[in-house]
Amino acid sequence: MYYAICDCDNCFVSCERVFRPDLAHRPIVVLSNNDGCVVARSREVKELGIKMGVPYYQIKEKAAKHGIITFSSNYELYADMTARVMSLIRKNAPAFFRYSIDEAFCVLSRHTRDSAKVWGENLSRLILKGTGMPVSIGIARTKTLAKIAVHFAKQYPGYNRCCAIDSDEQLKKALSMTPISDVWGIGRRLRASLDQKGIRTALDFAEKPYDWIAGQYNISVQRTWRELSGQDCIPDEDIAAKKSIMTSRSFENLIGDLHSLRTLIANFAARGAEKLRRQRSVASIVGVYIVTNRFRNDLDQYGKMIDYTLHTPTDSTINIISAACEALERGYRPGYLYKKAGVMLMGITGREGIQPDLFEYSPEREEKLHRLDSTIDIINRVYGRDTIISSAQHYHAPESDETHTSYTDMIRHDHRSPNPSTRWDDIIQLK
Amino acid sequence: MMRRKENTARVIEQIESKPFSMEYIKIISGDFGNTLDLPFANAIKAGFPSVAEGYEQDSIDFNRDMIRHPEATFYGRVYGDSMVEAGICDGDIAVIDRLAEPSHGDIVVAYINNEFTIKYLDLSQRHLGIIILNPANASFEPIKIFDSDNFKVWGVVVWTIKKWKNL
Repeated sequence: MYYAICDCDNCFVSCERVFRPDLAHRPIVVLSNNDGCVVARSREVKELGIKMGVPYYQIKEKAAKHGIITFSSNYELYADMTARVMSLIRKNAPAFFRYSIDEAFCVLSRHTRDSAKVWGENLSRLILKGTGMPVSIGIARTKTLAKIAVHFAKQYPGYNRCCAIDSDEQLKKALSMTPISDVWGIGRRLRASLDQKGIRTALDFAEKPYDWIAGQYNISVQRTWRELSGQDCIPDEDIAAKKSIMTSRSFENLIGDLHSLRTLIANFAARGAEKLRRQRSVASIVGVYIVTNRFRNDLDQYGKMIDYTLHTPTDSTINIISAACEALERGYRPGYLYKKAGVMLMGITGREGIQPDLFEYSPEREEKLHRLDSTIDIINRVYGRDTIISSAQHYHAPESDETHTSYTDMIRHDHRSPNPSTRWDDIIQLK
Repeated sequence: MMRRKENTARVIEQIESKPFSMEYIKIISGDFGNTLDLPFANAIKAGFPSVAEGYEQDSIDFNRDMIRHPEATFYGRVYGDSMVEAGICDGDIAVIDRLAEPSHGDIVVAYINNEFTIKYLDLSQRHLGIIILNPANASFEPIKIFDSDNFKVWGVVVWTIKKWKNL
């Protein structure tokens, strides 16, 4: 039995390139919401030494000098393109579970190493042709080793985007070439401690006796050690379903007043609720957090995370918005300037298993809310995001007239690409 | 009549009983395992037991029947008259399949000089290292591409959709 991890190469950049073939070998970065930080880099940009997560203003000069092309995040495009990729993987793999937006694990139970390698090369070729997305595949006896293999598949073109590690000899070589910090499950914090003990590569780590590891590290590090030695011990459930949904954002300008914060929080809550419904789940805890800008030493600092527990788990936009606003009002303190806020939906379970609170639960009301939300979801998908929103999502200046500032206008997307794969108005032009 | 299948992520909606006009339809891709149901109206003769009984699930489904590779299917809008003699006119919508194998004589989409173009694929001079993209309009010139240009067909046009009436 083998595991295969399929991982999109520079996913967001590759999505942009599908509809801009002219950018094939050009340096590209994708920026986070509000065009703040680098969230994806093309190979060319990585080679320039630009790191993941750096604020864009720090590389602006370098970007101009090297002709780096910048895109604002276009999550609608990325979600659609990765859904296409995942669907192709699912159709071609005997067992499949998605691990993140751009990665999926497959279980290959009837393959030999050679046939698995051929399977991987063919799948990668199929996905590239069908969707334009380059996907690298790593195959090995355990998930941790498959993650190491995919690293090699990405690094060396000779593998045809698929690297299968099996024999002891291959394994030893691969581990010796892998820095310990690149191993799945070894955090940055752990690297320092391992480095002190002379462990630099995955092989250094794997060659330590098990008792030595077990004597000083916790169960998850022990598990990583066993996985590296070829024992399959990370259960599929551990990496499958998303256990929480986070919607958060840094603001372009600092925000002090409760009204503006409430508008933003309501929008985050609405987005989260929509995601929740899409994965057919319900949440039982709505967490809201707000923080000031910790880099501004001249300003007073404050940060708070407030959890609001729902009586009955829900996926209703209205319920989640009111819970989030309630939490915000509990945690909000006037007199501070806030830089970032977020809504986190937790305690997520499938819709089927709802345990109703007997005093609060009204099946008729739930059914009505559910129908309302489904209708709003459809309208927003058909006519575009935010066609119908809850009134809390609109900004009302406390004492002004009815002129509203739409929330979407408050986010910056200077370089956002169109959505040719999901919107009729944006489909490609053929001359 | 069209309707959305319960709990499917892929949606085609008919709004205010307006039939198939593109401004009112948006396909949001997401779950590619799902299809759209159009109830299939079988001949029903009064007085006879329905022939369709037991076959209620039969339906004509554009997504299922006309799109072979949903994950690899994209749409494009035609601008200009370069393919007019092939019956493809300004404003038509092309259904593009990237997994269909392009062969000689196919109508394809290619990316040339920073734009997408729709043309006939001519492989008759392939042995000379030349690929030709032919327009279907005498006032347009064929486009010649040499092997060294690293040329790739972006996708094959499998259908075009034409609108005849604004509703």
